Amino acid sequence: MSVPLKLIYNEDPTKNIGSEVRKNIVRPIVTYNNISKSYGDLQVLKNIDLEIAPGEKVALIGPSGSGKTTLARLLMTLEEPTSGTIEVEGEMLWHQRVNDKLIKANEKHLHQVRGNIGMVFQHFNLFPHMTILRNVMEAPRNVLGLSKDEAKERAVKMLEQVGLSSKIDAYPAQLSGGQKQRVAIARALVMRPKVMLFDEPTSALDPELVGEVLEVIKAIASEGEMAMLLITHEMDFAKDVADRILFFDQGKIIEQGPPKKIFNNPESERLQTFLSRFNRH
Amino acid sequence: MWNWEYAIKILPEILKALKITISATFVAFVVALVVGLMLTLARRSNFKPLSLFAGGFVGFVRSTPLLVQLYFIFYVLPEYGLSLTPFVAGVIGLGLHYSTYLAEVYRGGIESIPPGQWEAAKALNFSTLNTWKKIILPQSIPPVIPVMGNYLITMFKETPILSAITLVEIMQTAKMLGSHSFRYLEAFTIVGVLFLVLSYSSSLMVRRLEVRLNLR
Repeated sequence: MSVPLKLIYNEDPTKNIGSEVRKNIVRPIVTYNNISKSYGDLQVLKNIDLEIAPGEKVALIGPSGSGKTTLARLLMTLEEPTSGTIEVEGEMLWHQRVNDKLIKANEKHLHQVRGNIGMVFQHFNLFPHMTILRNVMEAPRNVLGLSKDEAKERAVKMLEQVGLSSKIDAYPAQLSGGQKQRVAIARALVMRPKVMLFDEPTSALDPELVGEVLEVIKAIASEGEMAMLLITHEMDFAKDVADRILFFDQGKIIEQGPPKKIFNNPESERLQTFLSRFNRH
Repeated sequence: MWNWEYAIKILPEILKALKITISATFVAFVVALVVGLMLTLARRSNFKPLSLFAGGFVGFVRSTPLLVQLYFIFYVLPEYGLSLTPFVAGVIGLGLHYSTYLAEVYRGGIESIPPGQWEAAKALNFSTLNTWKKIILPQSIPPVIPVMGNYLITMFKETPILSAITLVEIMQTAKMLGSHSFRYLEAFTIVGVLFLVLSYSSSLMVRRLEVRLNLR
């Protein structure tokens, strides 16, 4: 495997980062270096470079199949990049450096770096055989090694925060889609990740349930410390929450910038078309 | 002609042997459950030699008759220094044979788990062991319990084959009683009725279990 070790901070390290966050920056929490991903002949990501600052909220918009979800899945280690490297807090995610050479990371290394990342899925993926409380406390207990009481306390607090403390003994099948997604958010948050990925968190919901989930995400975003990568088709939500918007199309970042600029003065023709299609529907 | 007096006289001895039949069934079933799970996990392993071995083992055991396997374990292994009692040889043979079928049952259960469950477990950073223990197996086994129950019944009905390696279970007992008194009708009828009653009532229980699991 030959991955060039040319690193990241040789130019202006903050060139991809919104100006509000720029002044506070120490180093990026996440860095994508020349990342590509192919399935057979189909290239879904093409040489992506991206840096996310600690606490930065980045929204990914763009047509379906443009590679947004894949970008998040690579960071969650659900899929492996075809080429390029990803760093989390300056540490390689998919690779390890041994004698100045990059080799594929083993499961132990992945396990260690992955702990910084959390993810909320489009289809919730709650554990149907566990109560809501156990869904949320199982990972703190088994992965972080907290005692039963500590894990429970943390889980209950988290469920309060998403407004579901009355449901702790229910099973996922007894909840509405919006409630399920709020549990899934609590389940990811309880691990206190430094980066949270939201993969179209409201796309599988009935329209009347979208609002409650977006409210919860907004509340979390306003707390600030955690970086967020939001993949969404809810443009108003993206505008409200994000520090920076990335417009994806055909595996590339076509345009990026603060929400105001992206929505009010889109430069590229593709973004203009995309947004106009959105406004009509 | 059917002789009630004789039938009642031999019944206690047959019932005593029934204990052997039932315990052989259950011990063999446990062997099959444990080895079956290990085979399933081994076949899914990323370590190629292990998955190839498990696949080869399943193919080999399924393509050879149980009787031959039992003879091999009981009569051939002692030549290589491994002497087993008829009971131990019997439960190993029966258990290993059915482990290959139970491996298939586990596989079906595991493959029915949606990929999202694996992904959620990974996103929460569960270790491989905990992913299996907490997420995958607790979901994949309950739905296949009825199928496992049916294999338990099948194994129960297969136990007379263990008489071939001199295990004194009910079939062997009936044979011995018959050759003693030259009356076969009563002994084999009792054996048949016992199998019928136990298998049929167990299958009713399995069906009720199935309904209950479906309701959940």
